[in-house]
Amino acid sequence: MEPDTEPRGTVTQREQSMVLNDVNMLYHIYATVPPIAQTLMMELQRKNHVEYLLRGLQQLGPSFCSLDANRPWICYWILHSMALLGEFVDADLEDRTIEFLSRCQDPNGGYGGGPGQMPHLATTYAAVNALISLGGEKSLPSINRSKVYTFLKCMKDPSGAFRMHDAGEIDVRACYTAISVASILNILDDELLQNVGNYILSCQTYEGGIAGEPGSEAHGGYTFCGLAAMILINEADRLDLAALIGWVVFRQGVEGGFQGRTNKLVDGCYSFWQGGVFALLRRFHSIIGESPTPVDQRGAECSIDNTQTTTASDVSEGDGSSDEISSQGDEHCHFQHREREPLFHSIALQRYLLLCSQDPRGGLRDKLRKPRDYYHTCYCLSGLSICQHSWLKDEDSSPLPRAVLGPYSNVLEPVHPVFNIVLDRYHEAHEFFSRS
Amino acid sequence: MHGRPRKPLKPEDAAASAAKAEKLRVLQSQFLHNHHNHIYSKEAVELSTKLLETNPELYTAWNYRKLAVQHKLTENDSDPDSLKSILDEELRVVESALRQNFKSYGAWHHRKWILSKGHSSIDNELRLLDKFQKADSRNFHAWNYRRFVAASMNRSEEDELKYTEDMICNNFSNYSAWHNRSLLLSNLLKRKVEGFVSKEKVLPDEYEFVHQAIFTDPDDQSGWFYHLWLLDQTVRVDSPQLVSSWPTPGSDLILLGDRCLDGCASSPFTRFHLDSRTFPLVLYFNQAVEGVNSSTITVDSELNTNKDLVWKPLSSCNSKAAQVWVTQLNLPDGNTHSSKVFPVEDSSPISSLYQLSIKNDNELTDFEWRAATIAKEIDHFRELLSLINCKIGKLTLARLLMAHDAMMCPPANKISHSEEVLELYNDLMRLDPTHVQYYKDQHSLVLLQQVTSNWESLLSRCFHYSNSPSNRGSPMCLQLKNLSLSRLGSFDKLLWVQMLDLSHNELRSIEGLEALQLLSCLNLSNNILGSFTALEPIRQLKSLRALNISYNEIGAHSIDTTKYLCSSPLSHSVGSEWNHGQTVIDDDIKSYWEAYFILKGLNLTQFDIVGNAIVNEKFKSFLIKVLPGLKWLDGEQLH
Repeated sequence: MEPDTEPRGTVTQREQSMVLNDVNMLYHIYATVPPIAQTLMMELQRKNHVEYLLRGLQQLGPSFCSLDANRPWICYWILHSMALLGEFVDADLEDRTIEFLSRCQDPNGGYGGGPGQMPHLATTYAAVNALISLGGEKSLPSINRSKVYTFLKCMKDPSGAFRMHDAGEIDVRACYTAISVASILNILDDELLQNVGNYILSCQTYEGGIAGEPGSEAHGGYTFCGLAAMILINEADRLDLAALIGWVVFRQGVEGGFQGRTNKLVDGCYSFWQGGVFALLRRFHSIIGESPTPVDQRGAECSIDNTQTTTASDVSEGDGSSDEISSQGDEHCHFQHREREPLFHSIALQRYLLLCSQDPRGGLRDKLRKPRDYYHTCYCLSGLSICQHSWLKDEDSSPLPRAVLGPYSNVLEPVHPVFNIVLDRYHEAHEFFSRS
Repeated sequence: MHGRPRKPLKPEDAAASAAKAEKLRVLQSQFLHNHHNHIYSKEAVELSTKLLETNPELYTAWNYRKLAVQHKLTENDSDPDSLKSILDEELRVVESALRQNFKSYGAWHHRKWILSKGHSSIDNELRLLDKFQKADSRNFHAWNYRRFVAASMNRSEEDELKYTEDMICNNFSNYSAWHNRSLLLSNLLKRKVEGFVSKEKVLPDEYEFVHQAIFTDPDDQSGWFYHLWLLDQTVRVDSPQLVSSWPTPGSDLILLGDRCLDGCASSPFTRFHLDSRTFPLVLYFNQAVEGVNSSTITVDSELNTNKDLVWKPLSSCNSKAAQVWVTQLNLPDGNTHSSKVFPVEDSSPISSLYQLSIKNDNELTDFEWRAATIAKEIDHFRELLSLINCKIGKLTLARLLMAHDAMMCPPANKISHSEEVLELYNDLMRLDPTHVQYYKDQHSLVLLQQVTSNWESLLSRCFHYSNSPSNRGSPMCLQLKNLSLSRLGSFDKLLWVQMLDLSHNELRSIEGLEALQLLSCLNLSNNILGSFTALEPIRQLKSLRALNISYNEIGAHSIDTTKYLCSSPLSHSVGSEWNHGQTVIDDDIKSYWEAYFILKGLNLTQFDIVGNAIVNEKFKSFLIKVLPGLKWLDGEQLH
């Protein structure tokens, strides 16, 4: 580490500065073009994305041979992306997808990476989420829940953690996919969740994030998996959440996007893995500006700092009324305009996703100069949805325009952050699986 | 789950690629046929080799190979030569599969499996690792495998430490190498290997090492994170300590009337008003502890008629460990009107409480260098910051200063650094808008620490509310309003608080507030609490009688993700809590289960909730049902 004899910067730093140059150049272009071009650049190219996605579902292109052990994943990435865009697939495609995934279902339970392959936890998670993202009377009943349960039991290691597949590796991914599937199918029981928490706890590092296995370094994907699983088994507060937040907050870089690990390059997919952590902890708020807080009727008589009149007056009197605490002096009128920033910078992240991750021809990607793919399309869109829905005014309303970067037509469907399934489909599945 | 890197497809390659894919599909169906029919012939196994060398992702094929190896081994019964050649072939296939995709989970896992058969040599494995770690120095599969090899083949940790040093010197941005260094050093220190017996000897060199990286390029993250680990190693005291308790040590409690216990004028913070026949004893530790019970804690008290006090951990899940432990002491019958001194927490029980924080000599001698090290680091970074403007440097300095203050606690004539730290966080909020909310939270914590750091500062924020000022021992209200607090902390200093005003802040959660077991009045109005579940800590506040959550944002958010953080009918792991009491207000529970869940066990007499989106007539009538003791709702008396 002789600073004087080394060439300028490490390899890592040179790569980082290349990425930053790309990003800055694009942001600069954006800043200098006329407003109408800006609007266009910030627009989510829905039509192109849908076209790109449908192409993938109709015929998994030849370049996907390397993913042949991951076919249910492709189904999930595409179907979830479609659901986020508020699009439906036609009946024929729906039938074919259900039929295909049924052929991936192992006779002894669980789903493999393709027909005839061994069942695998990750592809089981993908298949179940894909079928839920499709929804409907054909899709949901096609899942053999009792067999899935048997499969999950077989994957359970005596230590409490889960294995990816028979004789496969044990890690936090396996724990999350198992618990997520069990939870949404309503087959989670004490036996399945026994000691899972201990394993995940052993994977939280001093950095604050969660690693794939004990001893490894904290990683965005595993941090999401670990936290989501801990939430599902109701043990999230066993984690050091303060440290976890401290770690994930600083994974958002100057580009606006998130990196997956300390000192790695930004990657669009971590918009969900890291951004989703904030959604899980419900610690974010979009910038909302002036909140329309109703002013109290008694507001006129208020004083901001009147120490003699606060909530309670007396609890110590011996007579019968001592338990009643008068609230006459209660003051509600200190009206503040609160600018609330999110714990992560939601607008900066949306800017990165729309300008850098979005391929205007359709599909989304890791970063500039990288090819689009279905994995990144799915997780970039999921991250975008998380940003947009970080603050909602009331039950039925859509996100505030200020929470959404670009034209308002960019708004995506909200997701259930634990499972990463569009909220409507989650409710449908939840109702369906609690009935039976 | 992450997509493996794939080469971008050029149009001219498309035809060739399609042909290749077709060929692969044929191979794959042949392979599946072999697998399902347990065919392990030479040709069949070679076919799986071909397949895996093209697509290492085919985990089914890796399992098939394991079965094939078992099969061959039973056939060639204990012939060492054939064993060697069989396993060598597996090693070769893994290596060429990794060349195709070095992030393949299946390939790395298969290699571990081969090694578990007692094959290969450490040199061979290190050679392989070297190759892949050079190609991608952050590949976590390779680092995991490296740790596995080092552990299972007994490579010395000192050698591995040297390896991380080389990697770091080659590229000090390589955080994976720093991370592995922290693991190795932790182990060496824990095992007290020669040369690593004391932190005092080891850590200074590490500080110097990391300074080189940080000072060479302060904008590089890797060194800073390692520095954070070093800081943690420096300040961490392994054994749990009792930080504070209520009543405070050495104070007598006096039962003044039938409703008031008063501290013996020694401190205003031991006055206590109670409206039931029990009062709590609270212990606050610096970390979650287990096993607090009547045999580990001795309480001497005239009041303590039932000798075996039941200590309960305060935790929202059913965990056995908690930072805060509580027990209830019963008041005897009679004696209701005479003043009488009950030395509940005399010196003797307190000393037994303190036995928990065993300070061994080692830690005491350690203190000197810990403090000196932190002081030295503070100087270093002040110097760095005087030269350049560096965000992460400011953050580190803020953390160092807080660590310094915490170590000097109680601040015996030492000047606290909180002003400087607050200024640093203010700076950071301006410099680094991306992380502003995090800095804001930290700012809140420091501010609370400052406010609670001494009695004078606390007293200046305490006020009496009473219709009759002469009323002996009227309760004091601690006002922490209008401080822009976005997060709460310093609960150890607030255990005595019975009335707390947190209004006009920016609180989204009240995590940790359950420690304030004496709370009877709590004002949270004009914050930004988004849901009832954000109030979960108050479920544990059994003395709470008046609660004001008016003008928050409860009901304003359609996706309430906090609900997954607390038990609910939606979370499948809880059930028992929901089985009783449902018949009473069954319909309302469906719409207001969060409110029901939070308020159910409380005995509130006054409740203010006006100014939240959730409030309407239906909700108010629900509240009256779920809180039968309620006398005031939003300032109106109920009949």
